[in-house]
Order: sequence, then structure tokens, then C-alpha cells
Amino acid sequence: MRTLLLAATLLAATAANAQTAARPDQQAFRGLYKELIETNTTVSAGSCTLAAEKMAARLKAAGFSDADIRLFPGPAARPQDGGLVATLAGKDPKAKAILLLAHIDVVEARRADWQRDPFTLIEEDGWFYGRGTSDDKAQAAIFTDAMIRLKQAGKPLKRTLKLALTCGEESPAVFNGAEWLVKEHKDWIDAEFALNEGGIGAADDKGNPLKLGFQAGEKVYQDFKLEARNPGGHSSQPRPDNAIYQLTAGLNRLAAYEFPVQFTDASRAYFTTMAGMVGGEVGAAMRALLANPEDKAANAIVSRDANWHSMLRTTCVATRLDAGHANNALAQRATANINCRIFPGDSLEKVRGQIMAAVNDPGLTLTTDATVSPTPPPPPLTPAIYDPAVALAKKYFPGVPMLPTLVTGATDGRFLGAGGIPTYGVPGMVADKTLNNAHGLNERMSVSNLYTSRDYLFDLITAYASK
Amino acid sequence: MRALLLASALLSAAAAAAPPAATVSPQPGEAQFRALYKELVETDTSVTTGSCTDAAAKLAVRFKAAGFSDADITQFSVPEFPKEGGIVVHLKGRDPKAQPMLLLGHLDVVAAKRADWTRDPYTLIEENGYFYGRGTFDDKAQAAIWADLMIRMKAGKAPKRTIKLALTCGEETTYAFNGADWLAKNRPDLIKAEFGLNEGGGGRYDEAGKPQGLAVQVGEKTVQNFQLEATNPGGHSSVPRPDNAITDLARAVVAVNTHEFPVQFNDTTRAYFTTLSKVTPAPVGPAMARLLADPTDAEANRIVSVDPTNHSVLRTTCVATLLEAGHAENALAQRARANVNCRMFPGTDPNALKADLDRLVGNPRVAITLKPPVRPTGQPVPMNPAIIEPMKTIAQTHFPGVPMLAMMSTGATDAIFIAPIGIPVYGAPGTMIDPDGNGIHGLNERIRVDSLMKGRDYLSDLVMALANPK
Repeated sequence: MRTLLLAATLLAATAANAQTAARPDQQAFRGLYKELIETNTTVSAGSCTLAAEKMAARLKAAGFSDADIRLFPGPAARPQDGGLVATLAGKDPKAKAILLLAHIDVVEARRADWQRDPFTLIEEDGWFYGRGTSDDKAQAAIFTDAMIRLKQAGKPLKRTLKLALTCGEESPAVFNGAEWLVKEHKDWIDAEFALNEGGIGAADDKGNPLKLGFQAGEKVYQDFKLEARNPGGHSSQPRPDNAIYQLTAGLNRLAAYEFPVQFTDASRAYFTTMAGMVGGEVGAAMRALLANPEDKAANAIVSRDANWHSMLRTTCVATRLDAGHANNALAQRATANINCRIFPGDSLEKVRGQIMAAVNDPGLTLTTDATVSPTPPPPPLTPAIYDPAVALAKKYFPGVPMLPTLVTGATDGRFLGAGGIPTYGVPGMVADKTLNNAHGLNERMSVSNLYTSRDYLFDLITAYASK
Repeated sequence: MRALLLASALLSAAAAAAPPAATVSPQPGEAQFRALYKELVETDTSVTTGSCTDAAAKLAVRFKAAGFSDADITQFSVPEFPKEGGIVVHLKGRDPKAQPMLLLGHLDVVAAKRADWTRDPYTLIEENGYFYGRGTFDDKAQAAIWADLMIRMKAGKAPKRTIKLALTCGEETTYAFNGADWLAKNRPDLIKAEFGLNEGGGGRYDEAGKPQGLAVQVGEKTVQNFQLEATNPGGHSSVPRPDNAITDLARAVVAVNTHEFPVQFNDTTRAYFTTLSKVTPAPVGPAMARLLADPTDAEANRIVSVDPTNHSVLRTTCVATLLEAGHAENALAQRARANVNCRMFPGTDPNALKADLDRLVGNPRVAITLKPPVRPTGQPVPMNPAIIEPMKTIAQTHFPGVPMLAMMSTGATDAIFIAPIGIPVYGAPGTMIDPDGNGIHGLNERIRVDSLMKGRDYLSDLVMALANPK
């Protein structure tokens, strides 16, 4: 038994020490990435302000002046929720800037629950393990590293590049740095467009890329409360009017309602590409739906897939129910949480109208809680944005197809979009079926995919900034 | 007393001709009765802070002082619930061939918080013609009347029948230890009787405090709670799927709601609707008559069932009373649950009702289960003239001109636990309620002093009569 244990320990130690042979510039990048990962930035115990200060020190060491770097603290009650904005001036004062946005906060991680210390960067079997290795410190490190290398190269590009590292993406109800910058210091970050997370592609379970994703637009998260009220009474004498039945009957009508099919530039390009990839009946249905979004038969075929169903429309689904106060009393109140993912560009009021029309009962009330998301239009997927991404991917990810995507989750891009800065989730990084355990236990990032993405994104940023 | 529901329709029936007023001499020993009643009200017997066992012990002292032997008095409780005890007292009859009768009452009360009440709920306060205090009506009025009567009868000539008094705990709390249930299951001989008298009847004053009607409760519906549960693998709410636990549950709940259980009659409800059909204006009165002739008459049913009381008296009802589903705003629910509260028409088998619900819901993803406690199947109580007639006759002396209606309660009393050992239990008329409900189960519970005293007079004469059959 002891021998076995020893062998296992030895193997683990060997694996832990084995690093992918890295180029000197990759070694330097790895140091920056490690410093970010090992700085706890959870909302409960961490400090984004500290992480931002560490990145600022690196930027200064690379030659950025104090004037080029704005370190800002969080609000008075949460000074630890700070961030930074750094500017690398371009040579053409008339060319509009590009913003590189990444969040440096991470989801909670408990040492006791993880196999390894979540706040120590551990390389093992071709993977980096640690909280934030994937979401979103990989991107934060790549962007900061790109600013450093471009500064060190000493040859200004045409456009100005701005880097914003912010806090609170994972807990917007506490404080969100991107939202705050848009509202309070738009001039610091103003840009023609922004590059952000969200373009995550697909990988096999070894982390090898299968598909790249280019995110142009995201659905907007919004909860509504649907509520029925009633005088109630003793349950031994039920009456026709009843809060629970009023609510459930409304929910049944809502469940039967199918929001209309819509496309954005990105989802149009996605389904155009996908139609060729899947072919057959489904491919034909995609083409028919692109030609006529009201084609019911085509919709029925494509929407069999739950992901496609969601990409094609606003969805609203009841996720929680709460009604009544006693077994033997008629309910005085019945409430459902309706979780909507609003199609890009649709207003809250439009969706409210669609829900109420579907529910078809003016006796039910529909309200939003305090947290109301902005509903920006989707960013245009122009050739100037999309083509360089595709062209460079051929070099770094040969043979891996790229798909524009409309994400059904939410990023800080919604705040920038609402502030008039179209925001794209850039391709490069990929995730396995578990999404690299982002938000979960033992979050990880493929070492080779991280390094390849770094090279790819450096070239892509250079290409965008040079035109 | 879970529900004292005297049909409003009864009020329109109050037009009976008043016979000449007879003089009723008040029962003797009022001071002694008041002392007993006060002691009972002032002993907290709520399930949260009180003790029925204490109340039973205090009554035992009074019974002993009145001459009952130790053998006549049984105090009981179980080790798991030492404060939820009760008492059974026997007053031996003189005719060994006459069957015993049972007087049933409950000692426990609904919890009352001093801070919420105008007066201390556990101090008996007489004010403006009312007694205030928790339990003054439900059910310590009846419990005190029964105990006082036993004590007074002990001093007099033995009745023909043996009278058994059972005062128990747990009537007000569905999930608590129930003394009536325990006695029926563990000490049936102690309470075995030809019939029983209990709460659930009573009567009603109008707004001006004039007696409007008396009620005798003959049979009651049985409560059964069912759980409806839909389960689903769930997932991220950004990608809804066609199968969804909340949708499954919502459809099931609507299916239960839109179902109308068939119209049923028993002796009590047949007599009840027959009386009402004659005094209720058209179109409801004639529709009642048609429904009695043909319970499948859908149009008659529609007209009569507009009134929620009539609707509930005519059938089994099931209504969803609680919903709970989901674990996060942004996740598809993995579990969605409803409590469906059914009031079963007497004689309904809860498992047969479950089969009905399964058929109605018709979705294998929705599991339906009986929630404990599973009550005994309610047995119809016969409209026995040997019991009903003396109730009416004696009422004519005590409450001249006040009509009496036999009714089936849509709520539940402890009678349901006694029925399985073959004792039909009647909710006795006598103590009258105000239109505002007297704060029963609520704040500032009260009873008219007059209602209590006249109820005592009437019930004393009634028990004497029933205990001495000709």
C-alpha cells in the first residue's frame, strides 16, 4: 500500500513539474498569467484593485508613463473592486481607438472543494489549473501582455489601443466596473469597437480546437415576476377564481407561445455556415428559415435543437414557483420567476408586451426586479472585423472552422454596447464539453491553446490597429 | 373546529312560524360552571406553549371532588407527546342494556400571541356581554358544558345510558398527536358508544344578535393532501427545452382545477337540499330540486354550484394550495411541487381518488402521492330520528321559532377518527356564532355570554333526554 502511494505521489510530482517547453517570451507571459491567477479576486475575499496594481506595475516597467495608466478603486463601500485603463497612443490622431476589455474578478473557489489550490497556478498534463485560468484571466493576461509587447516594440500602430481591466463581471449586483466606466468615464474607454471574451470555441476532451467562435452579439438576461393575487379563503370551499390556477393557466399559455424567429449578422452567418456543415433536411431548413424567418415548417425542424431554438429568438421560461401559505388555505399570492434571454436589440418593453399577450390575462401582473439589463443592438459583423479574424486563424488554427455566434449567456459587452461601443468576443480560445469547468471545480485551460491564442490575438490586434 | 359553515341559504329559511314562547328555567350551578370554564380558558393548551395534559389534570381534580372514582377517570398521554394528553370520564348508567353515549370535545386551542391581542388571550375577561379569551368558543365552551354537566349529573339520579366524556388534544393541528385518533385505535372500549355528540353544529345569530338558525352536523368531508411532483434533468435557462418541470406541473394543476367531480348525495345532504330547495328563490331553489331528482343534471348543477358552499357540499373538491419550484432564477427547474388539498365526500377511498388524479393529470413525469396523515375513509352518518328529533323538539323550547337544519360539514372535526370504530358522531346544535366568526382561530376570540349560557341550558336538556331514551 505504501509503495503504491509513493508511486502515485511520485507520478503526481513528476507531472506537476513537467512544463511544456516554452519560448522565452512565453515564459514572460506565463509569469504575468501566474501573478494574475495567484491574486485572489473573488467578491468574498479577493481584491481586483490589488490585481490591477500588479498589472499596472508591469505596464510601467514596460515603459508606460503614469499618464498612460489610470488605476481606479471600487466604490466607497467596495474599494477592492477597482481596475485600470491603460492607453497606448496610435500614430494617426484621426483613427479611432480600439478597446481591449477583460474582467479580472473570478467566481468563488473553496480550497476544500478543489483537488489543487485554486489560487496557485499548476501546470499538469498539458493543462493550467486554477480559478480564472479560463474565465477570464487568460484573456486579461493576453491583452495586458500584448500592450506590453507593443509598447516594448516601440513602433506605434495607426490606432490607439486602450486596455480596460475591470471587476464585477461575475457579480454585477455588487458593482460592475465596465458599467461604471461607460457611465462615469466613457472618454477613458471610448473606441470604435471593443474586443472582449465570449468568442469561446469548441475543443475535444484533450483541449484540441474543433471549432472557433466569433461572438457578435449576446442575448440579454432579464428576470420578470409574474404574479396572481386573490383574497384566498378556506380550502374546504374552493372558488372558481384562484391565484394558483390563474398563474398556472397563464404559464401554460406562455409555454405554448413561440417567440418569432430573428437573425443578427452573426446568427445569419452562423446558420449560413452551419447549413453547409450539417446538410440534409436540417441544412435545407436553415436555408429556408434564412430566406423566410416565418417559415413554420423550417422553424420546427431547426428548433428541434434546443441551442438553435434559443439562438433564433427571445426565450422566456418559468424557472421558479412560489405560492400559498398553508395546506388548507386557498392561496392569496402565486408568483413565478420568468427568466428571459432577450434577442439582441429587442427592448424590455417589447418583451413585456409579448409576455403579456401570450399570458393573455390582464389580472396577472408582470414586474422586473431592481436589476434591469441594458438591451443594446447587436454589433454589425462587417468584413473589416470578421475577415482578418478568419484569415489569421488559417495560420494559427489550420483546418479549424470558425463560426460567428450569438451567445445566449451574458458578458460585460452588454454595458459597452449600450454605451455605443460595439463589442466582439474574439476567437482563439476553446473549451471542452465542460467549458473548461469555468465557474466550477478545478477550472482549467489548455496550455497549448492558451499560447496559440496569445500569438493569434497579438497578430489580430496588430492587424485591427494597423488599419 | 376547523370550519363552522352554516349555509347562508339557511338564513332565508328562518321564516318558520314561532310557537308560543315557553319558559325555560336556567340550569343550576352557574357559578360553579363559570369557575370551571374560567380555569379551562386560563390553562394554555396551544400546541406551541401549552399543555392539554395540565388541563385534563385540573378537570380530573374537579371530577374526583364531584364523586367520580379513580376507576371512572382515565387520564392518558403518550411518552413522545407528554403535554398532549387528555381525559375520559364515565358516568355509569342504571340500565345495563342501554348502549352508552359519548360526549366529545377537544381541549387544545390554536396558538395566540399576547402581543397581537387586545387582551391577554389566556385570561377570561367578561366585557360588553362577551367572554374574551382563546378557546372561549372553540372548543372550551363545549368542553366546559360537557364537564359541568357530568359533574352535576353525578349528584343526581343515574341516567339510563352510561355517558362517556372524552376531552382530547390535537384537533387543531394536522400533524400533531391526535387524542381522539389515539383513543379509537388504542382504547376503543373506553369510548365505545352507540353515538357521540361533538362540536361542528351550533347555530348563528344575525347582525343584531337575534338567533337565525341552528345546525346539526351529520357527517363531514375528509381532508386528504396530495403531492404533485414533476421532475426534470433541468439545465441552463438560456436554452429552454420542450420538457420542463414547471410546465408539467402547471398543466397538471390546471387539469385538476378544470375537473369537476360528480355530484353526490347522502342522507344528510339530501335532507339539507330538500329543505333549502323549498325556501330558496328561483332559479336556485328549483335547480336544487332538479339536481336531487337527477344528480347528472348539468344545468341544475351549474346553477346550484355557483355558491361555493353548495358546490363543496355536493361533491369531492380538490384545490392546489401550495406551489414550489426551481432553485435559481437562471436554471431550468429540476423539481416542481404542488400541494393539492382534497375534501373527500364521505365514503371516498383516498387511493381511488389518487387514481382519479393520476388519470386526470395523465403525465408519467408528474408523480402523485398521498401525503400523511392519511385519514380514515369518512363514513356517512345516518339521519337517526332518535337523535335528530329530540334535538329539534328541545330546541323549540329553548329557541322558539329558530329553524334547525341538518348539514354535512365541508371542514373536518375529530368525528372522523371516531367513525371507524362504529360510532356515528353528531355536531350538536346550541352554541351560536356571530356573523363575524367570533375571532375563532384568529384574534380576540369571544363568545356571547348569552350564547354560552343558553347553549349550556339547551345541551344539558338534550343530553338528559338522549341519555334517558323511552
